[in-house]
Amino acid sequence: MKIQTKFALYSAASKVLIILAISVTIPSIISTVVYTHIDSRLKARTDRVFKMIERGGIDEITLEQDCSFESYNILKEEFVSIEPLTKIDKGSAGTAKISNDEISIEEEILLHRVISQPFLYDNQLYELRIGEGLGAIEELNHSIRKFTFWITLILILLTIIADIGFTKVLLKPFHKIIDTKLKPAIHPTDYVASIIPTNTDEFALLDNSINGVMQKAKELFIIEKEFIGNVSHELLTPISVLQSRLENMLAENNLPSSANIKLVESQRTLSRLSKVIKALLMISQIENDQFLKKESVAVSELVNEVVSEIEERAAEKKITIENNLKSDFQLTECNRSLLFTMLFNVVSNAAKFSESGQTIVITDDSDEASNYMLTITDKGAGINSEHFERIFDRFKRFDRSSKEGYGLGLPIVKKIAEFHKIKLHLKSEMGQGTAFTFIFPTV
Amino acid sequence: MNVLIIEDEKELATEINAFLTRQGFMCDVAFTGREGSEKIFVNEYDFVLLDLGLPDYEGLDLLKEIKEDGKEVSIIILTARSETDDKVKGLDMGADDYLAKPFALAELMARMHAVTRRKHGLKSNTIEVLNFIIDLNKRTVSTGAEEITLTKKEFDLLHYLVLNKNRVLTRTQLTEHIWGDVMEESYDSNYIDVHIKNLRKKMSTHGDIDWIETVRGIGYKAKL
Repeated sequence: MKIQTKFALYSAASKVLIILAISVTIPSIISTVVYTHIDSRLKARTDRVFKMIERGGIDEITLEQDCSFESYNILKEEFVSIEPLTKIDKGSAGTAKISNDEISIEEEILLHRVISQPFLYDNQLYELRIGEGLGAIEELNHSIRKFTFWITLILILLTIIADIGFTKVLLKPFHKIIDTKLKPAIHPTDYVASIIPTNTDEFALLDNSINGVMQKAKELFIIEKEFIGNVSHELLTPISVLQSRLENMLAENNLPSSANIKLVESQRTLSRLSKVIKALLMISQIENDQFLKKESVAVSELVNEVVSEIEERAAEKKITIENNLKSDFQLTECNRSLLFTMLFNVVSNAAKFSESGQTIVITDDSDEASNYMLTITDKGAGINSEHFERIFDRFKRFDRSSKEGYGLGLPIVKKIAEFHKIKLHLKSEMGQGTAFTFIFPTV
Repeated sequence: MNVLIIEDEKELATEINAFLTRQGFMCDVAFTGREGSEKIFVNEYDFVLLDLGLPDYEGLDLLKEIKEDGKEVSIIILTARSETDDKVKGLDMGADDYLAKPFALAELMARMHAVTRRKHGLKSNTIEVLNFIIDLNKRTVSTGAEEITLTKKEFDLLHYLVLNKNRVLTRTQLTEHIWGDVMEESYDSNYIDVHIKNLRKKMSTHGDIDWIETVRGIGYKAKL
């Protein structure tokens, strides 16, 4: 998930939480505040009523025979009532109860906040009730709730938009670093160090570090290239001198035949040395990315070429090569001669380990991901699965006693395949043969 | 034919010189780029064998100089440098061929012949050996009337032997020529023997093949 998306999701989620919290708490806070106000007002009024009773006696207020009193204001938002209680419970005198009551006044039922305070007067228990209508307040409360909901919603949307905008701007240099320096898999030698403008310290540090690492890699690559060039020159030149000298000596015709035979043997040894050095250099050069990948080639055509090279030699051993390719799969951006070497080495190996009368089969197919697959199957000796890894390693030989080692052929195959992003798959059973599969990248 | 060998490795230059002289070429040697450059402008050569890794001169620059001067000279690049794009560059800049060190002198010979033939057009594209006609364009051998069917490798072997006539070619040299670097040395070298046997069998029904000689313990030679 992209960092920007994560930020946006986080910001949205946190704000939804806030809106939930606000819409849950605000109304109850408002109610509490409102009720506290009303309650203290009701208490103050109760005190005033008691003061009036103290001053002028209860009759002053009640006037009526049954000593009860009731008064509302016109809008029925407030009322005061004093009623004598029939039940004599002196214990309850003095404690005020406040509650929300539905009071019916002149056939209208209205919600009121009511304080009821029992009190004793002349040994008679009365109840003073003072009420304040909640209708208006509830309405207000409702409006406030609605108002806060919309305001917070709008604010949250605005802040989310602002957040996204800000993170976008903030992360812009970061994305630029990723898009221009990390994503394209630039080869160190093609890397051009550039500074991506940012005032975020961490991004500047990241940018600098990438520049530094790539610069270092570039230097190492160039050093390695020079080194390979030098090694190649220093090793191959003396071999070339020796090779020419041996050839000239052989041509001189005046040496005893025993000396000539020694020369022939020396030539063979030298040829072996030269091939090993060339193979190792080739591996290093592939690793050092010195080969161009600018050609486009039909794999079947290449296989035909390889087969025609090897066919003759295989026929000598009575080995048949069956070429069953159906697809005309084209590989682009490749190095033809390297691919030739890769296929040649595998088919050549198959021929080397096949026995007289056997057949090498070359087939193609597509895998589930519709990648082109090329398989070379022989019925030869097979490779012990424990050796699968090692046969591709240039410095490991698993059977020193055997004259027919795998040599550097397969390590080269592996390098060339890696260079072209071709996957290798090896399936082999001792005595049953080997199937070597190349899985080509989709174009 | 006159050949200029521009090669700073004195021992190698000496060996190439000895070889080409024995083959009937007139050779001149330059151990530095400067010397080579001077010699080219003073003398007329048919061939320049140019080493790219000269200490005082960038080989490709020298190649450019020669080409810009417009001399009718065939250039074969010799190099031990591994940079693969050198080959492409060299050929693009007008070199006629490219040999990577180490190379066999017999191979150099074959390349020089090929370059010469290419430069002189179709005329010399067949080689006659006794009653056999080797057509290098069609890659066939015939007796004029009848064509002898040879495999690719058999033809290459015959051609190589004929080009290096009267010289023994060892199995190693022959293997390297027909297989290049792809073949591992450990591979059965008696393969060459099988080829020669087949070659003789196919050709003997059409004429005398005693000229394809076996040199005991060494290799084969076309004695012409």
